[in-house]
Amino acid sequence: MQKASEVYDVCVVGSGAAGGVMAKELCEGGAKVVVLEAGRQVPNAELPSHKWPYELPYRGLRSEKQAPFYQGDIVQSIRYADSDQVGVDRVRIVGGRTMHWNAVTLRYAARDFKERSMQGIEEDWPITYEEIAPYYERIEQLIGVCGNDDGLEILPAGKSYLRPIPWRCSEHILKRATNAMGIKLIAVRKALATQSHDHRPACHYCGHCMDGCDIGAIFNTPGSMFPKARATGNFTLRENALAREILVDKEGLATAVSFVDTQTRRELQVKARIVVVCASTVESARLLLNSRSSQHPGGIANSNGIVGKYLHGHLGSQVSIYLEELQGGKTSNQDGATDHVYIPRYNHLSGKSDVAGGWGMQVNFQSYMFPHHAHRLRGYGSSFKQNVRKMQPGYLQMGSFAKVTAGPENHVTVDPARLDANGIPIPVVRFRFSQNDQALWKQANQSMLEMFSHLKGKVFSTFGDAPAGFASHEVGTIRMGKDPQTSVLNGYCQAREVKNLFVTDGSCFTTSSEKNPTLTIMALSMRTADYIKEQRRRGEL
Amino acid sequence: MERREVLKLVVLAALSRRLNALEGAVPGCSMPTDAVAPPPIDYKLQFFTEDENKLVDQLMEMIIPADGHSPGARTARASLFADQMLSSSEDAVKKQWRDGLSLVREQAKVVSLIEVLDKAAANEENPKTDLERFFVVLKGMTIYGYYTSEVGIHQDLEYTGNTFLRSFPECTHPEHQG
Repeated sequence: MQKASEVYDVCVVGSGAAGGVMAKELCEGGAKVVVLEAGRQVPNAELPSHKWPYELPYRGLRSEKQAPFYQGDIVQSIRYADSDQVGVDRVRIVGGRTMHWNAVTLRYAARDFKERSMQGIEEDWPITYEEIAPYYERIEQLIGVCGNDDGLEILPAGKSYLRPIPWRCSEHILKRATNAMGIKLIAVRKALATQSHDHRPACHYCGHCMDGCDIGAIFNTPGSMFPKARATGNFTLRENALAREILVDKEGLATAVSFVDTQTRRELQVKARIVVVCASTVESARLLLNSRSSQHPGGIANSNGIVGKYLHGHLGSQVSIYLEELQGGKTSNQDGATDHVYIPRYNHLSGKSDVAGGWGMQVNFQSYMFPHHAHRLRGYGSSFKQNVRKMQPGYLQMGSFAKVTAGPENHVTVDPARLDANGIPIPVVRFRFSQNDQALWKQANQSMLEMFSHLKGKVFSTFGDAPAGFASHEVGTIRMGKDPQTSVLNGYCQAREVKNLFVTDGSCFTTSSEKNPTLTIMALSMRTADYIKEQRRRGEL
Repeated sequence: MERREVLKLVVLAALSRRLNALEGAVPGCSMPTDAVAPPPIDYKLQFFTEDENKLVDQLMEMIIPADGHSPGARTARASLFADQMLSSSEDAVKKQWRDGLSLVREQAKVVSLIEVLDKAAANEENPKTDLERFFVVLKGMTIYGYYTSEVGIHQDLEYTGNTFLRSFPECTHPEHQG
C-alpha cells in the first residue's frame, strides 16, 4: 500500500450534501481538506437528462439516464437479508445525492427532535430545533431555496426564500380537496433557483430534476460548494477513491483513511488529523464496521455495538388521479420543476392518535412524458388508444412520505465473505417495518384516497398489500444521542470513543420525521464544521 | 420520400421551432440540436424470427392501431423495440414470448386473429391461462414501445415538454382555482 506523505487537517469521506458543505466550511475556516469520493465527476453538460427515450438504447427503461449516478458496482454490491420491501439507494458520483435528487428541502419542526417527549416513542435528539435553526437559516440562504413562509409550526420557515414555483392547473384543483379536508397545500420548498442565485442560472422547467440538472439550477455540491472551497487554496478532491478503512493510532484515534483507486485498483491512503464521514447512511456504517483494529475490534467507535443499528427511512406510497375537468383538453407543457406544491403533515392536528408519526405529501414528481395510466386501462384497440390520449392532460399524481420508527433490530452489517469489485466487504441490510409503521402507512393511504374523493376523476393507486420504503431517505445507522449506550455520536456528530472522528450524513439522525432529510443533513454538517473549527482553534483537535 | 422520413422532418421542424423561440434562454444548456435520432432503418432482428416479428407487429398494431389522429404501433416500430428488449432479457421471459406467440399462431389457425386477441384479453385484471398471461406482457410491451417512440410522444400525445421555458406559466383559469 502506498503511504501518503502529506498530512491534511481534515479528510472528508464523501462529496454529497454533507461532505460538500463540510469541505466548503472547513476550507473557508483555514483547514487543509481532502475529500475522498468513490465516484468520478460528471459535468452537468454530460448528463443525458434531455435525451428523448427513443435516443436511448432501451428507451430509458433500463435506467440509462441514471447510469452516471450509479458508477462501478454500487448497485450490485449490497445484500438484503430477512427484509421487508425496502430499497437502499446509494449514489456514486462526485456530488453524491445532490446530483440526483428532487431538491425538496424542509426543516424539521421542534417536535421532530423530541419524539420521546412528544409521543412517548424512540428517543429525543441531543439537540433542539432552537440549536439547529441558525444553521437552517444559513444553509437555506447558501443553497437558495424557493418557497414561502407559510406560518406553520410543523414546517418552520426561514427569513426569506426565492420566489415560489408557479402552480399547474391540477395543483389549483387539488386545493379544492385540501380545503375540503381543512389541510394546507403550500408552495414546495426546493433548493432550486427560480431566479439566478449564487452564479446558478434560473430553472428552465424541463421536468428533469431527478435526471440531473444539466445547468445546475438545482443545487449540487460540485457547482456550488467546491468552487468556494477551491478558492481558498485549501481544497483537494480525490475522485475514484473508495474508502476501505479508517486507520488509527495506538490510542485508537483516527490517523488516516485507506482507499482503493477504483480505476487502477491501487491501495492508497491519506493521512489526516480529523476524519469526517459523509458517505451516506449505509456506506458510512459499512466504512466504520470495516475499520477493525485491536483498538476497535468490532469496528471503529463501536464498542457498544450500535454502529449499523437503528437503520430507518421513509415509507412511501403513490396514487394518481386523472381529473375529469382537464381530460380531453389541449395538450400543454406541464413538465415544470417536478414538485411545485407540498402538503405538510396534518394528522397531528386532529388530536390524540394511537399511531405515532405522520406523513407529508409530494405532488407531481413524475414525468408527464409517459402516459402512466396506459398500463392500468383495460382493453385494446382504437378506443383504448383514444382513452389514453384523452386522459393524459388530467394527470395529477401524489405520493406520501411517512415516518418510520427507529429500532435496534433494523440494521446494516458487513459480510466479510462477500467482497465488492474492489475487495471490500459489502453491506448487508436487515429491515422489518414495525406495527406502528404499518398502521401509519395504512392511514396515509386512506387519507390520500379521501383527498381524491373530493375530486372528479379516475383514481389509480399502487399501494399493494404491504408497505415499501426508504425512498432514498435512509438514515440512522451511526446515530447521535443523549445515551452513550444507545448512540455513537454526541450532539456535535462527534464519535464519543474517537474524538477526531465525525459523521454528518443521514446516518447521524437519532430519529426520522416525515420530512425529507437533506436540509437537516446540510444544517448538521454546517453546525459540526463550526464545532470543528472552534475545537481546532482551541487546540482540542 | 418514405412516410417515416416525412415524420422525422415534421418532428424536427416542430422541435426546431421550439428551440428557435427559446434561443439564448438558458446559458450553458446542453440541449442537443439534433434531438431526434434517425429511426433504426437497418435494424436486424436479434430475438424474433421474421415470422414472429410479423406476428408481433400485427398484434401490436391491433393493440395500438393507426387512426385519424396518429399512426399506430407499426409505424412506431414497436415490434423492433420488443425484439431489442427481449434479446437481452432473462430466459424465462424469452420463453414466455416464444411460447405465447406459438399459442397465438396455433389458435389463429382455427379462428381469426382478432378473435384470439379478444379471448386473450378477456381476463386482463386476473389472467389465468397462458394466453391471457401472454396478452398482459404483450400489451405492456406495446405500450412501452409506442409511447416512448417519436410517433407516440410527438404525434399521438402531442407532448410539448422536454424543452426550455423562460418562465413556467401559472394556471390562471378562474374555474381551476381552489
